Amino acid sequence: MKAGIGRRLWGAGVALLFSVAATPVWAETCVIDDADREVCLAQPASRIVALSPGATELVFAAGAGDQVVGVVSFSDYPPEAKQRQSVGSHTRLDLETVLSLEPDLLVGWVTGNPHEQLEKLQRLGMSLYLSEPRRFEEVATSLERLATLAGTRERGQVAADEFRAGVGELRERYADASPVRVFYQVWDEPLMTVNDEHLISQAISLCGGKNVFGELPRLVPRIGEEAVLAADPEAIVAGGMGEENRDWLDDWERFEELNAVRRDNLFFVPPSLIQRPTPRLLEGTRILCDHLETARGRH
Amino acid sequence: MSVLEASGLVIDVPGRKDGRPLDFAIEPGQLWGVLGPNGAGKTTLLHTLAGLRAPRQGQVLLDGESIARLRRRHLAQALGVIFQERQDGFPATVRETVLIGRHPFLSPWQQEGAEDLRLTEAALTRLELNDLSERLVSQLSGGERQRVAIATTLTQAPRLWLADEPTNHLDLRHQVAVMSLLAEQARNGRGVLLCVHDLNLAARWCDHLLLLYPDGEACWGAAKDMLVPEALERLYDQPLMVAEVNGARVFVPSN
Amino acid sequence: MAATDPTSPTWLAAGRMRRLPLALLVMVALASLLLAVGMGSVTISPQALWAVLTGQGDPLHRTLIFELRLPRALAAFGTGGLLAVAGALMQVLLRNPLADPYVLGVSGGAAVAALAAMLAGLGGVAVSGSAFVGALASTLLVFGLAHGTGSWTPTRLLLTGVVVAAGWGAMITFMLSVGPTEKLPGMLYWLMGDLAYSRGPWPALGLLVIIWLALVPLARSLNVLARGPLQAAALGVAVQPLEGAVYVMASLLTAVAVTTAGSIGFVGLVVPHMLRLVLGNDQRVILPASILAGGTLLTLADTLARILIAPEQLPVGVITALLGVPTFLYLLYRSR
Repeated sequence: MKAGIGRRLWGAGVALLFSVAATPVWAETCVIDDADREVCLAQPASRIVALSPGATELVFAAGAGDQVVGVVSFSDYPPEAKQRQSVGSHTRLDLETVLSLEPDLLVGWVTGNPHEQLEKLQRLGMSLYLSEPRRFEEVATSLERLATLAGTRERGQVAADEFRAGVGELRERYADASPVRVFYQVWDEPLMTVNDEHLISQAISLCGGKNVFGELPRLVPRIGEEAVLAADPEAIVAGGMGEENRDWLDDWERFEELNAVRRDNLFFVPPSLIQRPTPRLLEGTRILCDHLETARGRH
Repeated sequence: MSVLEASGLVIDVPGRKDGRPLDFAIEPGQLWGVLGPNGAGKTTLLHTLAGLRAPRQGQVLLDGESIARLRRRHLAQALGVIFQERQDGFPATVRETVLIGRHPFLSPWQQEGAEDLRLTEAALTRLELNDLSERLVSQLSGGERQRVAIATTLTQAPRLWLADEPTNHLDLRHQVAVMSLLAEQARNGRGVLLCVHDLNLAARWCDHLLLLYPDGEACWGAAKDMLVPEALERLYDQPLMVAEVNGARVFVPSN
Repeated sequence: MAATDPTSPTWLAAGRMRRLPLALLVMVALASLLLAVGMGSVTISPQALWAVLTGQGDPLHRTLIFELRLPRALAAFGTGGLLAVAGALMQVLLRNPLADPYVLGVSGGAAVAALAAMLAGLGGVAVSGSAFVGALASTLLVFGLAHGTGSWTPTRLLLTGVVVAAGWGAMITFMLSVGPTEKLPGMLYWLMGDLAYSRGPWPALGLLVIIWLALVPLARSLNVLARGPLQAAALGVAVQPLEGAVYVMASLLTAVAVTTAGSIGFVGLVVPHMLRLVLGNDQRVILPASILAGGTLLTLADTLARILIAPEQLPVGVITALLGVPTFLYLLYRSR
């Protein structure tokens, strides 16, 4: 079995040499991915499999949607993504289907895909770009880097510039806004929030808000209701399981002593707009900023 | 033929004084009976003689060698034990159970051979178990299981038999059959020791007796010297009447 | 004393009685492996499969079969075989058909150690090694505690194991609650037990062969041990060394199985029991039969897990339970 892999790698090496020699127009292109690995392609990626819903959005936004041949379940945006071949769920990839699509680039998820499966795909000679943007700027650079690999640099650049411009505009608008103390609820049972390392918390500060649990050590801490009562936020923002499901927010109405409740500052932001590190994050952040602006007006 | 010898032996009954050390030998051809009330340590003595339990003092010798130093396999080739309590947690047929008596004679890599199967069939026939041979032991009555245990030891064909209440659960006919089987073993030059509750079975079949008192005292010797009503009354703390039937002594409890 | 006459018909009959079910199980096992290699979310026709097996065929098919399906099928077979024979050994040791390495906390110890390694930021081989050490440490802990100041009894060992397993369970929950979010998925995959994450079949298969050979000379002694330690000692079995060896062996098997595929329950409990209902309780048959049937069960279950709702994949534990529970209940019902 070892010998088989060896032969295969050797064969791949030879094929690589020949293909480089045959297409002098495209020089080998390399980018650094979010796991600090160098990913190099001899030719622009023409068959891309995206291994997380977020990765699918990024690749489409980078202008390479036509090259996407495989996605994982829950890849619901953009709508065209639903028409692509499914390769299972991001926690349990169907490696056979991945291989049978003969992709030349996989876009994986550092903490979402099983390590063993990613390792196996790499052993089988697949090019793997690991994606996990953790800041706004990294969303923009992800678009650039993926566009570079897919040979759609111009469209990727446009998307990245638009994103940066939108973020810059928000930053400017709320730079001097009076701070609003915010509790963002990721989940209700158990009650979970985010710390300042999280993109959502960065979105809150972009809007001139302050995450009341930003100092906690874990990225997604589990907290109790008492902690929320003690922190007494001015606004509570929640996603919820479904779009437009306000159950989680209505639940807080029990606590009249909360400032957020007294001032009616209980807000909904569609989770898919703010919990995925993709260009749509800008849209979600705008909604969040509007809500916090409303909160500023209510004393 | 082998001799099993207790030398200065004090059995380890928790919470009891040492009592009298035991010094006796089971010679080929002898049939020993151990008598005593409940809790006197009959089973403990039997297990100690079989090397399954360490004595408090003294030692047990097989052909002059301490059994503590012998390998279990070697010991099992000479010494067969019939237990009072048995575990049948897993299903096994009567034939399989009886065949297991050959275990000490087979090397780890060996399969049971024709001779082992022949001995098994002979034992099944001797204990009238042929009709039950394919039945599961767990489905048998107490008396039938007792006969399976005896058949297993018969298949083992040891030179010394240690039997704990071998007539338990048996009907009268099978009690007699089992006692005559043990007597036959003794006649053929084997040594036999059994614990019995039934004074009259012991009186009729055993040639040597060991009386074990609850306080650790003991006496032993030829059966005719031991079957003294006063000693037996003290042993069981129970007045006895003695009758004679066809020349044999019979002991009956009196009020 | 035990004169063996190989030409005797009864001897032949006894040997054949033991070999027939094993021969059948070998064929079923091979068929299950063939099925596992032939089926997947990509359809490969029998002709194409034959071409690949004879050294030709489409390169993609070759990759699918030799790089994905075969290693995974072998890992499934190895893991299933190890778990089943470990269960069979534990059941003889404790003379309790309910015993299995999972019940006794062996896999719990492995899981705690593996998760601790993940929390410490280790990965890959370190996690596997840690699971292995954890399984053996848990074994020693349970055995030591059950021994206590007196001698151990099966009931005491079982109780100690169950309580220690509960303790591990609490520690697992604790680690999952305090663990950093980005490490949770990895930890959960590991706990779920899935051959999709196995790194290679060779440790499991290698150990399976070794254990098969090691059990041949021990099997008859285990038959005697199943009748209780006193009876076994009286029939020449060195009980304590044998029990110690069996316990360590069963833990080792579990450790390697858990290291290969995470925690997959149920196989060790049910496979030996099903076989006993059909084949009786001769360990010379039951132990190798457990290896074959356990391997076959997990290979089939994993194949179904791969193809049932492809391209979505199921955890194999779901399938083992779905296949095993009705079969087990049917056999139990019929045996009355």
